[in-house]
Amino acid sequence: MDGKPYRLREFISPRDGRSLILDLSAGLALGPLPGFERFPEAVAPLLPHVDGLVCSPGQAGRVRARSQKDAALLVRASWTNALRGPDFVLPLETVRYIPILSAQEGLDVGACALVLDFLLGYEEEIEGSCLSATVQLALEGNRLSMPVLVQVRPSGPRVALRDRAIALGVSYALEGGADGVALPWPGQRTFADVVAMAGDRPLWIVPASPEQAGAEAAEALAQGACGIWLDPVYVGAAALEGLLFALRAQVHPEPSEAGR
Amino acid sequence: MGSGKQARFDRLFNRHGDGRAVCVAADHGYMSDVTPNVVRLRPIVEAVIRGGVDGILLSPGQAMRLADLFPGREGPALIIRADWMNMPRLGTSNVANAVPQRLLYQQKVIRAEEALALGASAITIYLFLGYSDAVEATGVEVCARFVAECRRAGLPCIIEPIAYGRRVTGANIVELLTLGARMAVELGADALKIPYTGDVETFRRLCEVAGVPVLVLGGARSDNERDALELFAEALEAGARGCLMGRNVTKSPDPERIVAQLCAIAHRGWTVDQALRGEVWPFVRLKAHAAQCTGCLLCQTACVAAHEAGAYGVTGARLRIEGDSFPRGRRILFCTLCGKCLAACPTGALRWHPASGAVELLRERCDRCGACVEVCPTGVIGRDGEGWPFVCDLCQGEPECAGICPTGALEVAPRRSPFA
Repeated sequence: MDGKPYRLREFISPRDGRSLILDLSAGLALGPLPGFERFPEAVAPLLPHVDGLVCSPGQAGRVRARSQKDAALLVRASWTNALRGPDFVLPLETVRYIPILSAQEGLDVGACALVLDFLLGYEEEIEGSCLSATVQLALEGNRLSMPVLVQVRPSGPRVALRDRAIALGVSYALEGGADGVALPWPGQRTFADVVAMAGDRPLWIVPASPEQAGAEAAEALAQGACGIWLDPVYVGAAALEGLLFALRAQVHPEPSEAGR
Repeated sequence: MGSGKQARFDRLFNRHGDGRAVCVAADHGYMSDVTPNVVRLRPIVEAVIRGGVDGILLSPGQAMRLADLFPGREGPALIIRADWMNMPRLGTSNVANAVPQRLLYQQKVIRAEEALALGASAITIYLFLGYSDAVEATGVEVCARFVAECRRAGLPCIIEPIAYGRRVTGANIVELLTLGARMAVELGADALKIPYTGDVETFRRLCEVAGVPVLVLGGARSDNERDALELFAEALEAGARGCLMGRNVTKSPDPERIVAQLCAIAHRGWTVDQALRGEVWPFVRLKAHAAQCTGCLLCQTACVAAHEAGAYGVTGARLRIEGDSFPRGRRILFCTLCGKCLAACPTGALRWHPASGAVELLRERCDRCGACVEVCPTGVIGRDGEGWPFVCDLCQGEPECAGICPTGALEVAPRRSPFA
């Protein structure tokens, strides 16, 4: 018996097949995110407004007393320093990628799904590590009915054609066994290929900025995206709550969809 | 936190009911060259236990050799160093190197289940930042594995972020430690062992963004005993929950005394000066002589009057007189400071008052569940009209009940520890 659909329905609404995800797992590599220094207190008021919350394994244990209307927990299962920019206290020198959680451990912390990074544009061994981690986690996830989602990050210096790199990342993720993929908006034409490639696997778009979020969401949802994957590293905590309301209305347009 | 992990966590952090722990790191023989504190470890560990230490960090091998020094509930908690590293032997180290090392290396050496089998109440592991991306990534991987193992084993995992290497400067070290603290917590650390950032404000921010108990470490030994105590007092002021000090204790000429001083600061709320003077424990307890009790109830009346301005009567008193004088005699029921209410409180709303040593209710944490009322063996914890529990506060060290008792049936007696 495959329990993955049950877990996926925890954060993809069965009514409309749509989903709004808030990703607050970047603290794994970036330390305290502005506005989220006190994580459990900061995240609590946001939980009713999203379908899923991506957090680190450590914070997963601190998000307590969730009710039926609160977001499901998705847990980041990989660590990378690729998120660090030149102004960071430890600027990136060499990209590293580490799987940090098994599917069993994901079950132990109460995850409904695990999230892996897939980095593109860095050294070849990084791509190899990403693919290997995806395959291994997907295999274990299959045994334990734990969905594995992959977030494609075409952020390396060797990315020449960004839209095709995104499609390549999605392809690798799906070939590796991902049950869903989060990706930056690659443009309409490439996204059409991605949707065709993904088939029934859910796709989330990660907006590049608050200004572009609405437009990218509208285009992606119209073309078959499952939802939006919001990452405050790019959006910023100050604009987050308003943006969440706006995106929620886009993702779940039915007036009756007040909560899950 | 699972029940097994919580039980072990409390074993370390709640021995005195105040959520604080004074721990000693005695694992240096595992990583540094052979120094006197490594050679003569047993008498040092015996001394710190006499000083009242709450937890001792040892290597797996020393944990096996010194197992007889951990006698269970009365003794300290055992913390196991679960990884090995060679930082003290690197070229820039302050230790004379017999076999200098060229590159920083970290290695996992024991599994959480194995540490548990040795009797550990927690393990500690390092997380290096600032040396190289590769070493940091290895540390992240090691920490993630340990956290998962500890979760399964029900063992608290203490991560020790260390800022070390060519990328660490005086300008960025505080930010690096704060980053390391938060990364450790995101990975799943249950507590942190971390250096002091140098001032209260930055360390307070570190404690806040960590959100888990922080144990400050002492660093290299200072010749001035006061330095270590002042560092600890400042860290507590900033929000630390204790210390895990190594060389300042194990290389001290009197490890017992310095541990007792650290304990006095942590558990009794003493200042550094008080600790250095070694003041006598100032707390008191009540002592009863039931045979001298006439049943006049002046004690209860005085208690009510002391706690409720203008009130008269015995309702709401924090002590009770039961029985007649004959044939079974009277019983004087009062707070014996047994600490069961502190242990039963699910929200940590009860603690030992740092100044008076009596039980203190922190209303902001209390959910009025009544667990303390139910568990009190003498039945002297009551509840007011709104359900708030009221507990004996020993009238801030001068109990009115004993003061007014005309026959000496109640008296004030000295007390050697929070647990009378």
